[in-house]
Formats: sequence, structure tokens, C-alpha cells
Amino acid sequence: MGAPELLQFALAGLKNGSIYALVALGFTIVYASTGVINFAQGEFVMLGGMLSVWAYADLGLPLPLAGLVGVLATACVGIVFELLAIRPRKDGDPLALIIITVGGSMLLSSLARHAFGPTERALPRFSEGSIQILGASLERQSLWIMGIAAIAVGVLSLMYSRTRFGKAMRACAIDRNAARLVGIDPKWMVTVSFALAAALGGLAGLVTTPLTQTAFNVGPSFGVKGFAAAILGGLGNPFAAVVGGLVLGMLESLSVAFISSTYKDAISLVVLLLMLFVRPQGLLGRGKREKV
Amino acid sequence: MSLLEVRELTRRFGGLTAVDQVSFDVHEGEIKAIIGPNGAGKSTLFNCLTGFDRPDEGTVSFGGDDLVGMRPDRVVRAGVARTFQNTQLFEEMTAHENVMVGTHATTSAGFAAYALRLPHTAREERLSAEEADRLLRLVGLEEWRDAPAADMPHGLRRLLEIARALATGPRLMLLDEPAAGLNSTETGALATALYRIRDHGATLVVVEHDMGLVMEVSDEIVVLDRGAKIAEGPPRLIQKDPLVITAYLGEEESDDDA
Amino acid sequence: MGSAKTQSGPRASLTGLPVRRYLGVVVVGALVAAMPLLITGSDSRYVLKILTFVGINTLIVTGLALLFGYAGQVSLGHAAFYGLGAYTSAYVTATLGWPFLAGVAASIAGTALGGVALALPSLRLKGHYLAMATLAFGEIMRIAFVEAAPITGGPDGFSGIPFASIGSFAFDTPARVYWLAWGATALALLISWNIVSGRPGRSMLALHGSELGALASGVDLVGLKVRVFTISAVFAGVAGSLYAHTVGFVSPSTFSLHLSVILVAMAVLGGTRSLAGPAAAAILLTLVSSPDVVLPALPRETLEVIQDWEADVYGLVIILVILFLPDGLSGAARRLSARVRGARSGPGDTA
Repeated sequence: MGAPELLQFALAGLKNGSIYALVALGFTIVYASTGVINFAQGEFVMLGGMLSVWAYADLGLPLPLAGLVGVLATACVGIVFELLAIRPRKDGDPLALIIITVGGSMLLSSLARHAFGPTERALPRFSEGSIQILGASLERQSLWIMGIAAIAVGVLSLMYSRTRFGKAMRACAIDRNAARLVGIDPKWMVTVSFALAAALGGLAGLVTTPLTQTAFNVGPSFGVKGFAAAILGGLGNPFAAVVGGLVLGMLESLSVAFISSTYKDAISLVVLLLMLFVRPQGLLGRGKREKV
Repeated sequence: MSLLEVRELTRRFGGLTAVDQVSFDVHEGEIKAIIGPNGAGKSTLFNCLTGFDRPDEGTVSFGGDDLVGMRPDRVVRAGVARTFQNTQLFEEMTAHENVMVGTHATTSAGFAAYALRLPHTAREERLSAEEADRLLRLVGLEEWRDAPAADMPHGLRRLLEIARALATGPRLMLLDEPAAGLNSTETGALATALYRIRDHGATLVVVEHDMGLVMEVSDEIVVLDRGAKIAEGPPRLIQKDPLVITAYLGEEESDDDA
Repeated sequence: MGSAKTQSGPRASLTGLPVRRYLGVVVVGALVAAMPLLITGSDSRYVLKILTFVGINTLIVTGLALLFGYAGQVSLGHAAFYGLGAYTSAYVTATLGWPFLAGVAASIAGTALGGVALALPSLRLKGHYLAMATLAFGEIMRIAFVEAAPITGGPDGFSGIPFASIGSFAFDTPARVYWLAWGATALALLISWNIVSGRPGRSMLALHGSELGALASGVDLVGLKVRVFTISAVFAGVAGSLYAHTVGFVSPSTFSLHLSVILVAMAVLGGTRSLAGPAAAAILLTLVSSPDVVLPALPRETLEVIQDWEADVYGLVIILVILFLPDGLSGAARRLSARVRGARSGPGDTA
């Protein structure tokens, strides 16, 4: 295999990895504020795509505006979901909340089927055509994906370092009740984290729909990959989530290059299981002992 | 010969040495107290003795068994039972059921035997139930037999946890701050229970803040300060020990109301 | 002490249930057994077939009742064990030509192995990690069912699976298949009852209540988790085997995450510390997708609408039950019976 082909696979890995990173960030943010894995995170990706298609094709909005509507509407779904399904469970029992998100995942995908139909739907590419890099070709849409993901990560890290909310988020990663220390009500912390996670998922859905189309049932597969990325890097650490996403994208690409595309989807599952069994704290996480 | 031999036990967390080269013996039939200011490493020491944490250095020998690295449930089966500073009861189960779970350390019939209802399962159930009733009476909780643990008042929950630990048939009991949060009446009842338990043949190690209780019930006291043992001896000597007084000076006043 | 928990599982001793409960079990059992004789008419084949599926689902959910309702562990991969059981039995009987019972035995062995293989490394994982691990396992198995085409028939499925038979007796009528499925389910319920009403059941509840407390009581959590997980996997495997021989055809799309979530919905609705609750929930929620079994007069359009909204119902049931009925049907029943008893004996009643 020559250098251009390898580069081609690497670029594909980077593109997919950017999407996984966005989804993984969503897992990380909700995990930090609730201690819960949100099994409906993949549905936010699905909704981001579906709602953007709806705004574009059904409402006839111009593409940039339709995308904005799609992402914001997904964030609203995240907020509503938190307010209606997560917050009422006041004891915050993780087992209960996890099961609620499992039910939410099924409910959201099913409602999407009723709202938008059972068929696959697509958006036009943000820009047509492709560019050549050292003999490899890269679709302009992939550039959009990487660029938007990079901007999202940049904005998020600014928010983490500069705002009171960001400080509260970082404090929460250490101790869930620490938000109080910076004067933020943990209840609203959870709501905002769901909104952010949904927006990030929605963004991932928006940018990937022009390439891969979307349908009401794509959620779980995005969810699994995003979670695999989060756990690969180390759950609870946003930087690690991004690294995990990119590494997972690369691993998938390499497996397609050297093994077969048949097992592309199995890679993330295997990575997920291996990480859980061997190093649940992730590549970048430190070993921690349970405290009594 | 001593029942428990702790030798140069050390546990570090990052740069902090929570337990520092601690050695002591516990003899059969005695009540030994471990005291020390907050953060002295008492709970970490307890966790290292019972398999819930693993010391970085040192040995813990119990009647010939090496307890270091043993799983907590194996430590219990080896004859060392414990309670927790924050009680770890099974909230939805009744007091009687809670204590019955403790008897599991001494019974053995498993899934297959129960699935097939082999005759010895019925016998074990009966013996477990009787033993649980006996222990509830021993700690004075027989009236609460069928109440869910969640419904019991704080002081009684501690007694229930002690009863559950007793049900494992221990030769050595480690109690982590049994008097924390108890009023004086409850503490009195606790002291009575402790004597009664010792009279039944168990040896006790008690981590405790309540100095009154410690001075009253213990035969020997080990004093920890910042992870290290600074004194060991009978209560009347410990009370006069200048090192101990220095270590406690800042603590004593704030501790009295606890 | 008028405790609400006095009649729940582990409280009853091995020697006896209250007579009233025996009576209830006997009546329900007789009713279930007599169903094929009671159902007549032109669509009796269809009704019996649906009721057979109800029995098969009840069998899987009984395993989940042990795992979730008693031990407090979540599995999102039970569809995979169901599929593993179905394919194993199909392969052993249709491809190898061995008898039905050998197929069931192979299903049991296969799912037990799978259960142990998944449970052992998952042990140190807390709730949500275990849920994710089981989900990943389920998805990997689904890919395996599709890709192992020489054995499984691939995406087109596995057809030509013979009816169940023991010796020369074939379970080849709807009634016989029904009895076989419900017989297996009754056996699983009996085994489960024996387990939960004694020492293993208490250990499971202890694990659910406080892992630290259970460890400090000498409960071998490692062994316990592996055993409960394996039993529930085997129940799903046997159900899969029965499914394969009932339908005669197995396709990978059946054993999806979707199904795993539906099974969880049944276990959640059924509630904790109970076998009857989850069984009732399995019956109820399975019939949601075929309401015409209970209401034959239902217009076709209504039926289609109901089936169209089935997944929404399952999702909503999960959320609403966890929010407003956290211990499920069984908990509601316990509270209700405590209230009835309280009213009967008056407020002065003490233990």
C-alpha cells in the first residue's frame, strides 16, 4: 500500500474520528454532571440530522439556517428530556437514570420515525467537490466536518477555562456537588449539560448527514461509537474524549485498510469491550481505587 | 500468642502516607481501641486489615493466615468481621434478613442445591433464621425483627450492623466508630453490647472518637497521629502520655460535642 | 410492625407459602395450562401461537427478574443470549440432525459459556459499565449471526428447523408447542422461586442493597454475579431454543438491541423483589403488540395504529415506571396488599 492510499485512510479516520469526538464529548459532559451514561446520546445525533433535514427540505430554510435550527432544536430536545425524564427522579440513583435514558433512546427514535418517516433522508453537501492532498483526495464536506468539530472543541474548551459554568463543570468532574462551590445550582448544571450534550450530538448529526444520510434508527450505532471513544480516552475528561474519538476513527480506518470493511462496525465494539475489561479508566485516565 | 499481628503496615495515597509503619498485636479476648485525631489514618488502617484496601508494605497475620491481598469476603470467612463508619445495611431488607445475610459466611449451600431444594438447604435456612433471632436478642433488637433497615433509627442501625457482623461467626471484630452520632443513652447501650459480645468470645478492635467510651471499655489503646503509631498501652497510661496530649490538644475541645 | 414486605420473596421460608398464595399459583397455573382447551374458533392457531411467544418472553424475563429485580444488575444484551440459544439449537438439530433435547442441552451449554465469558471480566464494572458491556456484547453477537453465514445462514436467516420432539412424540400442533413453552417457563419459575426464597436470593438482594455490606457479610460477590448472570443467560438461551423450534426459522434481525430494551422494559415494569411481577409484565407488554388476542373484535386499523406506536409505548413505560413506580407492578401490589391488610386489622395492629 502506497503513501497516498495510507493518507487517504488516515484522512477518512480523522473525519470519522471528529464525529466520534463530538459524540464522546456529549457522553463526557453528562457523565460529569450526573455520573450517568446517557444511552440516548446517539439519538441526539440522529435528531440533529433529522431536524436539519426537516428545516431544510420541509420548511425550505437555507442550509446554514436549517443547520442552526437543527442543532438548536436538538439542544431543546435535550433540555426537555432532562426536565421531564431525568430531573423528576430526585434521588439521582444512577441505575434508575441509566434505565430512563435507555427508555428515552427508544422513545426518541420511535417518535422521530413518526415525525419524519421511516426512510433515509439526506442533506446537500455544504460544499461540493474535493481537494487533493499529496495524492489523496478529500471531500470538501470532510473538511467541513473536521473544521466544525475543531471549532466546537475550541469553543467548549474556552468555555471550560473562562466561564463560571466551565469551572463548575470541571469541579463536577471531581465531585458532583462541587458546582455549589462556584455558586451554581447542580440541578441547572444537569440541565445545561444535557443541552450541551444534545447540541454536540446534533452538530455531529448535522455535519455527517450530507455524507452518510440519516434515519430514525441510526442513533444506537453513533451512541456505541461515541461511548467507545469516550471510554477509550477516559470517561469524564473532555480532552480525553477528543483524543479517544480521533484514535477510534483511525483504528477503524486502519482496520478497513488492512483487514476488511466488513468488520468496521465491530472495531468500536471490540475496543469498547477491551477497554471496559482491561482499562476502564481509559488510555489517559489514572488508575483509581474505590474508596470505602 | 496474639490473635492478630500487624507489622510495619504502610499505605500511601500519592504523596500522602495515610498509614506509616504501624505495628501492634491484638490478643484473644481483649478490647483494643485505636484512637487518633481526624485524618490520623484509622479508617485506612481498618480497610487494610479487612481486604477493602491493600497496604503498600507490611504484613497482617491472623491466626496464621496472611490477610494482605485477601478479598474482603475471604477475610470475613477467615474470621475477621467489620462494621462501617457509614453503616452499610441492606435498606429494603428487614433487620432479621440483614442478620441472616451475615450467616452466609458460615453456610455453604449454593444455587444448585437451592434450585433443587435439596434437604440440607431447609436445615441451613432454619439454623440461619434461629441464629439471626439469637443475635437480634443479643443486641436488643428483637422488637425490630421484621422492620426494614431503612425504617430504623440511627443508633439501632449501628447495633444491627454489629449483629450482622457477629452472624459471620468472627473471632475478631473491627468496629469503625460505632458510637458516632449516638446520644449518651445509646452509647451506654452500645458499651453494654460490647461487653456482652466480648463475653461471648469475640475479640474486638474499635476505632472510636468518643474518649469516654474508649476509656471505659478498652483494655489497650493504640494512638495514631498522622498515620504513625505514637503510643500504645492501657487507658490510664495513655491519658497521661505527653505525646498523646500534644496530638489531641487542638482536637479535644471541638471533639467533645461530637 | 406492619411491614409492607412481609409477603415478598425471601421472607417466605422454604417450608411454606401462605395457603392463599399456593391457591393463587395453582389457579393461575391451571388457567394457563387449560388455555389451549379454552381457546376455540377459527383463529385459535394464531392466538395460541401468540400465547406461546408470551410464554417464551416470560421465560426470558424471569431470568432478567433475577438479574435486575433481585441482584440489581442491568443487561442490555439478553437478545444476544436468546439468539445464541436459537442458533445453537437450530444448528444442532437441523444441520447436525441430532434430537431436540440435544439442541436444548447445547443451547444451555452455549449460553452458560457465553454468560460466564461476559460476566467474569465485567465483574468489577459498576452498573452503567456493565450495561454498556452487555450492549456491546449484544451488538457483536448480532454481527456474528450475520457474518457466520455458513453456520447461521447469514442475513437471510436459518430455515428448516424441525419441530421439537421427545422420542417419537412431536410438539407439532399449536397446543403442544404452547404446552412445551409454558412447561419450560413454569420450570424456570419454580427454579427461580427456590433460589430467591433462600440464601442465594438474600445474597442477591444484599448485592443490590450495598456491595460493601455484602462483602463485609462474607458474600462472594464474584461468584454471585457470575452465577446470576449465567442463570439469566441460560433462561434466555432455552427460550431461544424454544423459539427456533416454534417458528422453524431464525433471522438475525430478531435479536436486536431493540428486543433487549423491550425485555428490560418488561423487567422494569414487573418490578423488584418479585417473580410474579415481571411475569405479569412480560405477558402484558407482549400482548401490547398483539392486542387482537385479547380483543378479537378490534378493527384492523386500530390494531395497526397500536402496533405502529408499540416502541413509543415501551420507551414511555420504562421512563414512567422508573419515575413514578420505581419498584414496578410488584411494588404496587405489595403496597396495595399492605393497605388492604392494614385496613382489615386496624391501626392498632403491631407485630
